[in-house]
Amino acid sequence: MLNRREAALSFGALWTALVLPASALAQATPTLTWTPKAVTAEQARTLDAVAETIIPATDSPGARAAGVPQFIDRTLATWSTPADAAAIKAGLDQIDRDAKSAHGAAFAALTPAQQQALLARYDRESKGFFNALKELVTVGYFTSEPGATIALRYDPVPGDYRGCVPLKEIGRAWAT
Amino acid sequence: MANLNTRAKAENTYDAIVVGSGISGGWAAKELTEKGLKTLVLERGRMLRHIEDYSTAQTNPWETKYPRGRLPQAELDAHYKVQQRTGYTMTEYTQNLFVRDDENPYTETKSFDWIRSYHVGGRSITWGRQSYRHSPIDFEANAREGIAVDWPIRYEDLAPWYDRVERFIGVSGQNEGLAQLPDGVFQPPMEMNCVEKAFKASIEDRLGRRIIMGRAAHLTAPTEEQIALGRGKCQNRNLCIRGCPFGAYFSSNSATLVAAERTGNLKIRPNSIVTELIFDPAKNKATGVRVIDEQTGQQTEFYAEVIFLCASALSSAWIMLNSTSRRFPNGFGNGSDQLGRNVMDHHLGVGASAEVPGYEDMYYSGRRPNGIYIPRFRNLGDAGSARKDYLRGYGYQGGAGRGGWDRPMAGVGAERKAALTQPGPWMFRIGGFGEILPYADNRITLNKAKTDKYGLPTLTFDVSIRENEKAMRKDMAASAAEMMEAAGFKNIRAGDGGYSPGLGIHEMGTARMGRDPKTSVLNAHNQVHECKNVYVTDGAAMTSASCVNPSLTYMALTARAAAHAVEAKKRGEL
Repeated sequence: MLNRREAALSFGALWTALVLPASALAQATPTLTWTPKAVTAEQARTLDAVAETIIPATDSPGARAAGVPQFIDRTLATWSTPADAAAIKAGLDQIDRDAKSAHGAAFAALTPAQQQALLARYDRESKGFFNALKELVTVGYFTSEPGATIALRYDPVPGDYRGCVPLKEIGRAWAT
Repeated sequence: MANLNTRAKAENTYDAIVVGSGISGGWAAKELTEKGLKTLVLERGRMLRHIEDYSTAQTNPWETKYPRGRLPQAELDAHYKVQQRTGYTMTEYTQNLFVRDDENPYTETKSFDWIRSYHVGGRSITWGRQSYRHSPIDFEANAREGIAVDWPIRYEDLAPWYDRVERFIGVSGQNEGLAQLPDGVFQPPMEMNCVEKAFKASIEDRLGRRIIMGRAAHLTAPTEEQIALGRGKCQNRNLCIRGCPFGAYFSSNSATLVAAERTGNLKIRPNSIVTELIFDPAKNKATGVRVIDEQTGQQTEFYAEVIFLCASALSSAWIMLNSTSRRFPNGFGNGSDQLGRNVMDHHLGVGASAEVPGYEDMYYSGRRPNGIYIPRFRNLGDAGSARKDYLRGYGYQGGAGRGGWDRPMAGVGAERKAALTQPGPWMFRIGGFGEILPYADNRITLNKAKTDKYGLPTLTFDVSIRENEKAMRKDMAASAAEMMEAAGFKNIRAGDGGYSPGLGIHEMGTARMGRDPKTSVLNAHNQVHECKNVYVTDGAAMTSASCVNPSLTYMALTARAAAHAVEAKKRGEL
């Protein structure tokens, strides 16, 4: 089931890449629907695209729909140490600079494939700011209501404990 | 004026005073009120009403203020310098259930992690709920090995009181017929998961060590008495530390204080810091206690014929050290000079974890608030279990589970997301709980130079583990690795993660029981040798530590002492 879905997705991506020029695929710069507190509007647009690239919408909502960019902005404003917050913000600026020098456009305006390739490189190189950003996206997503209840399974009051259950009966990992 | 004073004195006079409302104080309150004594419970912290004040019990993961409910480091460092050292207790969920260190200072000559809860119910709200009896071996160890002093009681003295406590609080578990871990009165045990069952079979077969389900104070089949108190069956949420809205695990708030309240004989006074015992040299009795109101700073006296100190080992000792008089210049009932000495805890932070191959198609449902237990298998009296390198022993707590969404996973994008929505590999972890011997120079002292915001002296800690514990820790790591290997697990990581006294949150020994007033503070009934109407029944009373979690023993000692006090009072002996 999962494999068939992934095959269909990659075939579709290949098809459009062959037919359409790259510029036609680039995304219009999205308008923010929220007001950032810790980051600039430009950083917020990058953050929004970075979060959605790390955890995209699939058969469950992605990071954007789960409110992860807002979660990270709030975290940087109220929870992170000033040094950690500064490193993340500088990292967002660097992502945008790297996008512009490689593709001539802001990160938020790149194609999903370009976005994915750029972030995968940071991940392989284990860049400090990116590890921290990736962790915030992951925590923000899987502790969000869509992340916990749709992508994962969540049961606030299980009632019984059953120690040996076939995984297929549960289907997904427990959120908590 | 005289009339007014007489009336005020009458209004502040009870049959019994209990200092502290935690796991021991709750039991003292229940037993004394049920036996007809008008009882005043003095609690230094605020009121914490059962269920309605468990403000985070229903908080969903997406409703927290901070990521995963973890507090900002700056806030932890400013207010919770010590309380954060456990790594798990001090979160957004439990922030109101532990003290602020900046408001409750003490001095560490050597590092001591004093984890405190000041509210009605004390740490019975946040305890680990593991409930084991001390064994005959534990009560005999000091005498047999010539360590410290002998316990003035034996297992048989306490056994009926363990029965009584277990029946009332509700302990899920199983009888195993082990000499080092006596059987008890249990509700049905919780279930092991697939990997734990396989581990049990493999270790019992290959190493002959018993692997059992943890015994935990959770209701799995509530009795009529428990249902009548408003308690229900465990719902397997594993959010116990926030307070249980089902009253499914035992706490003072869910059980003993409810029972005490229903007698009509209970008065609870929160925000009441007991500063000292009042001693009447003419009667050679304590006549009451002095209290500072935590909110107004006002000083009051309360009077009773029977006084139970249940403030926790260190705080009960603090009250006694701070109660000086011509008769007791070095602290209340401290003719032995043992008050504040022999501080014990359980040393932990050593064990092993490993990856479990296979079982990919198996999972579990529900969050069991309990784990497996590996009872002590060293120095049990037979040649096979004897160690030359250390005395006493240890047990392990732990269990198996599958990795969650927070495990490390390379990559970005849809493939990684899909992988994280499935459970990760099975992991197995066990951590040891080791016995610490009583050392006279492991002690707390009163520091009059450093006072708290009420102007009261604070404590100074000079406590450390010694060669016996260090040798035991090496064996705890090695035996943990040995079991992981015997079970066929992979990527085994075993070792010593370090430990500071206090981190076990099992403080004991500061006013030990004993047979001789010259070498101990309390007698066989938890009475202060030198002042029989004062009973101390919390961790302070412990003559040795065993390696099992101690709360069940505090409760049994308290119930036994309360029955003694009521009878002694009737006979006019107090």
